[in-house]
Amino acid sequence: MRLLLVEDELDIQDFLKRSLEEAGYQVEVASDGTSAERLAIDGAFDILIVDLGLPDQDGITLIFRLRQLGVRAPVLILSARRSVDDRVRGLEQGGDDYLTKPFALAELLARLRNLLRRNNPSGNEATRLRVLDLELDLLRREATRSGETLQLTPQEFVLLEYFCRNAGRVVTRSMILDQVWGMRIHPETNVVDVHIYRLRGKVDSVGQQPLIRTLRGVGYVLKDR
Amino acid sequence: MFSKTGSPKLRSAAWRISFWASVAFAFGTMLVFFFLQKFVENDIQRRSDAWLSGEVEVLGNVATRTPKDGLYGRVVGEVAELAGREVPNKLPSESDTNDSVFFLQRGADDSVQLWVGAGSGQDTLSAIVKTTMILDQPTDVRVKGFAVPFRVACIRVDDGSQIYLGLSERDELRVLRNLRIRFLLWWLLIVFFGFAIVFLTTRRMLSHVRRITEAASRIGHSDLNSRVPTTKRNDEVAQLALTLNRMLDRIESSMHQLHTITDSLAHDLRSPLTAIRGKLEMTLSASSHGEQAEPIVSAIEELDRLTEFLNQSLDVAEAKADALRLTRTDIELDELLRVMTDLYEPSMADKGLQIRLHSADPVTIRADAALIHRMVANLFDNELKHLPAACTVTIRLQVEEERVSMVFEDNGPGFSSDVMPLLFERRVKGRESNGHGLGLAFIDAVARAHGGTATACNRVKGGAQVTVTLPRVSRLDTGFPIGMVHAAH
Repeated sequence: MRLLLVEDELDIQDFLKRSLEEAGYQVEVASDGTSAERLAIDGAFDILIVDLGLPDQDGITLIFRLRQLGVRAPVLILSARRSVDDRVRGLEQGGDDYLTKPFALAELLARLRNLLRRNNPSGNEATRLRVLDLELDLLRREATRSGETLQLTPQEFVLLEYFCRNAGRVVTRSMILDQVWGMRIHPETNVVDVHIYRLRGKVDSVGQQPLIRTLRGVGYVLKDR
Repeated sequence: MFSKTGSPKLRSAAWRISFWASVAFAFGTMLVFFFLQKFVENDIQRRSDAWLSGEVEVLGNVATRTPKDGLYGRVVGEVAELAGREVPNKLPSESDTNDSVFFLQRGADDSVQLWVGAGSGQDTLSAIVKTTMILDQPTDVRVKGFAVPFRVACIRVDDGSQIYLGLSERDELRVLRNLRIRFLLWWLLIVFFGFAIVFLTTRRMLSHVRRITEAASRIGHSDLNSRVPTTKRNDEVAQLALTLNRMLDRIESSMHQLHTITDSLAHDLRSPLTAIRGKLEMTLSASSHGEQAEPIVSAIEELDRLTEFLNQSLDVAEAKADALRLTRTDIELDELLRVMTDLYEPSMADKGLQIRLHSADPVTIRADAALIHRMVANLFDNELKHLPAACTVTIRLQVEEERVSMVFEDNGPGFSSDVMPLLFERRVKGRESNGHGLGLAFIDAVARAHGGTATACNRVKGGAQVTVTLPRVSRLDTGFPIGMVHAAH
């Protein structure tokens, strides 16, 4: 996966490049709009990360120009602005996504994956999800572990489904709130943790290998190995 | 006629102005007419008196000089009749004789010596006898059968008899009365039309002012692009609109400056936060085991709290300046409360708290989703953080015609009295609270930015109550027929 990172803050550019390379992306970097334009036209990138506050031009102007020049790759917009302005929302509806700074790396990676998947839909959606001995029937909304049915509330099922779709990958609290509850909020209390704790009580009952792991300061991961 | 409790039309300035203008006009014209009429009346009397005095003297002379023989009556009578013909008789009377003028010679024995005029003169004589007459000074005498008094002049003849010459002013007075009636009709008409014209003109003028007021009241909360309507004319109202628009230009530019400052502040703080967080995360993944992880984890958590605090501080600061930017979308408030209740219920239950949602019918508001979500989350967080175990939180959604209220009630200890008056201020928090004291200030800020209100109080039965009221339809979307003039940028 070839990725173009357009970011003028060298500190951020540096750690993003390293983390993205660790996650398996081939990363090219540009520190301003002009060089980003040149790079984007020459190299065929699968995905772009564009910071809105560039020294020579506005990030949104850059994205519009790239679209005019025929660059089709999806764009993840990074914004340090306070409110997400309407133009970004417009881009979001056009298939791109945005993330406000500061963000968790896990969330950045998840959004990149989402964008790539949206761009290359992989045929039919599966009706069953399977992670180790955990199985989800998406049509009948039923979950079983080692053949035993789990008594889940509809909300817990959605939460577990989200974990299964991201099995082996880190999900953060704000990702869970965004994807499962549809809200971009940052509660001051541990509301998400309590939900996970309850779900874990049902999925990882006594005597079984625990599947849902807590990564303190980062989020959660559903083990797939 | 127009009390403070009257209909809005009667209370309007246009009505008041036209009412008082009409009253003043009516009173003034009435006064002028009254004096004019008085003047004409006096003039008529003065002329009559002059004529009477002259004629009665002539007649007196004639009566004195004419020998008292058989022809006396005829001679004096002829002269009197000739004099009487000078007075036009405009009223058609049954007899040929002019009854608006009479001549009477009254003998020393109070008998009619000579009478020229309509009838026998007996009634006139008895009326004259009853009236005290002054010589050389015409006097009003009321004669039976005549509505209008006669003006009577009197002269004494040498033989002891008295000569009276009477003149009725009824024609003149009738003309005057006709004039009065006509004047009244015209006066009423003019006053009425004057009232109507003044009312319509003022209302037209004031409707510009009203449009300006309406437009100005819609401008403000986060909508500073609009301008009040201006007219092509160059009157005071147009000046007002222009001045308001210039003021809005200035406000918009300072608001823009404020946004630039908060934006660059946010940017300058967030960029290093992003770098720090990223580096911490990378370090964490490199050393995911052992004791080194613990301080890194707590550093990341502190960073996230700091970020949220920064966001809320800037939001509250912008909202206090009425400068919070909103991106409005349709939000189903009842659904949002249900989802939030589901989200918070387990945490509440863990703390031994009960939560009850009295759900209402579906209600949609147009508001900024991100801000409303955070505000509602804040309301829940507040309850979760401050309530001791075994309390109950009751959430009600009250839907009214134009507003919708979210009421959060609990049966906990309530707000402590030391923070009570300052609840919605920044940095105000109870001594026991471990928050950063922005919660309620943020809730208030979001409510105000949407044209709503937030109130907090302690319930009579104990416990705290926070109410957030939001308008159901945004004032911008009500579609007033009055066109909003959007400034060209």
